[in-house]
Amino acid sequence: MRFTAYIDALGFAAPGIADFGALGKRLQGGIWAAEPWEPAPGCLAPRQAKRLSPAIRLALLVGEAVGPALGEDAAWVFASSVGEGETLNVILSALCEPDMMIQPLRFQNAVHNAAAGQWSIAAGIKGPMTSIAAYDQTFGAGLLKALLQARLEDRPVGLVLYDAPIPVPLDEKRPLGVPMGAALALSPRQGASSRAVLKVEVTTGDATEPRSEAAKALSATGNPVAAVLPLYEVIASRMSGSVMIAQHGGAALRCEVECL
Amino acid sequence: MIKSPNADIRITATSLVSCLGAGRAAHLGAMIDGRSGLAPCDYGDLAFSCHIGRVAGLEDLTFPVTHTAFDNRATRLALAGLEVDGFADAVQTMRARWGAARCGVVLGTSTSGVELLEQAYRSRPADQPLPSGYSLRHHNDHQAVTAFLQDLLGLEGPSYTISTACSSSAKAIVDAVQLVRAGVCDAVLAGGVDSLCLTSLNGFEALQLVSRQPCRPCDAARDGLSIGEGAAFLIVERAEDGASLAGMGESSDGINMSTPPEDGAGAAQAMRAALADAGLQPSDIGYVNLHGTATPINDTAEAAAVSAVMGDEVPVSSLKGAIGHTLGAAGALEAVMCLHAMEEGIVPGNIGLETLDPQIQCRILARMEHAPIRHAITNAFGFGGNNCALLLSRS
Repeated sequence: MRFTAYIDALGFAAPGIADFGALGKRLQGGIWAAEPWEPAPGCLAPRQAKRLSPAIRLALLVGEAVGPALGEDAAWVFASSVGEGETLNVILSALCEPDMMIQPLRFQNAVHNAAAGQWSIAAGIKGPMTSIAAYDQTFGAGLLKALLQARLEDRPVGLVLYDAPIPVPLDEKRPLGVPMGAALALSPRQGASSRAVLKVEVTTGDATEPRSEAAKALSATGNPVAAVLPLYEVIASRMSGSVMIAQHGGAALRCEVECL
Repeated sequence: MIKSPNADIRITATSLVSCLGAGRAAHLGAMIDGRSGLAPCDYGDLAFSCHIGRVAGLEDLTFPVTHTAFDNRATRLALAGLEVDGFADAVQTMRARWGAARCGVVLGTSTSGVELLEQAYRSRPADQPLPSGYSLRHHNDHQAVTAFLQDLLGLEGPSYTISTACSSSAKAIVDAVQLVRAGVCDAVLAGGVDSLCLTSLNGFEALQLVSRQPCRPCDAARDGLSIGEGAAFLIVERAEDGASLAGMGESSDGINMSTPPEDGAGAAQAMRAALADAGLQPSDIGYVNLHGTATPINDTAEAAAVSAVMGDEVPVSSLKGAIGHTLGAAGALEAVMCLHAMEEGIVPGNIGLETLDPQIQCRILARMEHAPIRHAITNAFGFGGNNCALLLSRS
């Protein structure tokens, strides 16, 4: 069985890398090193942004990069391994106090789909939104779900991938290094802005490793969003290539990528 | 009549566990007798009183020695769910028939194994690290329960977790059907698991949404939900016999994280989409299972949506008065209860209802009735304005 989908827009964000264009330059011979950074999406007023977690702000930032390429009928898939790690720590710390009082706004933004919900509010989305996790294979799961929807529901799909480091004492149990986000606007049909076509088969085998120095450095952070980089390396090179993307449990997606 | 694209994809086995007990007979018996499993809270050291739907005996389950790394309340619920109604055997039959690589796993959960992490936080001296033996990956990670089942059952197809709060496991069933329809898998183990935990109990209390009594969905005096726990699983595969998910509808409110619009517009959109997906008319539907959490705003909004889409003739009820709100497990658990009711020829009653809210126009069934139901809709809505309606058809 085979999926065909067109990539109409790409997003990426990490410390020192503002968008997919900037990432592309690093992937073709540049280097990357971690630096302090706070994601600040344009769709949130500064006061509003302060009330939302770094993970939500990161997701909205990369969502903005692909939103304009997607119509109102688009479905959205938000994929994150950890989700709301900062909020989890705030709530667990509150549960250590005798009265166990949790702030109501914190609780409603503690759910894994907090970023998806906030994006639906910011962008006025009324269609399907999913929030998905599969540990280190979260990108593979999110891409598979997006391909399913693009094909079976015959609609464009926005895929938003994001993970932000968790505070102490959780961080040593799941070190993520730096905040990292990526996004894809996928469509079942070729359009004027289509940048690449993906032909995808479900198979087994090892995931493709990143090749460039910058992608290796980003992957070494431990953030599972870096699983997107081998695919992004092919697209940034404007060539064709084949990329294997892991699924949880041993399966993999073989993606034949052709730039348009 | 348009044939549903899901017609040859069937639900060939199910299992469930909730405060009503384990398996089909316990749940059907309670639905026929109009019995609730809610009881005064004996979980945790809460600063407030409430009723909960607690699954008995989880602490005494024998956990497989090969998988002790995964042992927590959520995986124990999953294990309790596997062991009833011959479900574990059905999984092995599925695996033998299609091959492990063709069998996927998709679960829905909102809190996974956070219960054990709460204990780790509370028992650790302030500013100290978590115990060296605690594994986030095996307990609190969103994929933890899914990974446990995938490994325990030896299934090697794609697996992932849907976590959209209280619609999680309804959407997991959608994914299972899509994976089979697209040919990615020949069979998928789908379902939902959520355990009682201090996070959910204190969080809903912070939002002033927890009732001091057993919850009373659709009642004029309802004042909040009762939290429950549970697990439910379904095998979705290509087959000639069995119930089917004839249609599915998803939508987003896009206005507020925890409160729906008064007219239930998002809920109505999801139900309309499910009808369209199945190629059915509102008059084809014999029962609507409400999400019906028993919070003042949610029930009237959802009832308004049902009236707008379905009219006021179809029998409607909420199962939350019987099992509580099982959060991420609710979608799958209530779907399985609906399937059992349809198979038995009953329409479950709305436990806890004494005086119907005069704002609710649709036909809420206070007591169980006998009626043949060919098609039913079950709703699951979650924080983030995340709505999912499943349209189930009897074989």
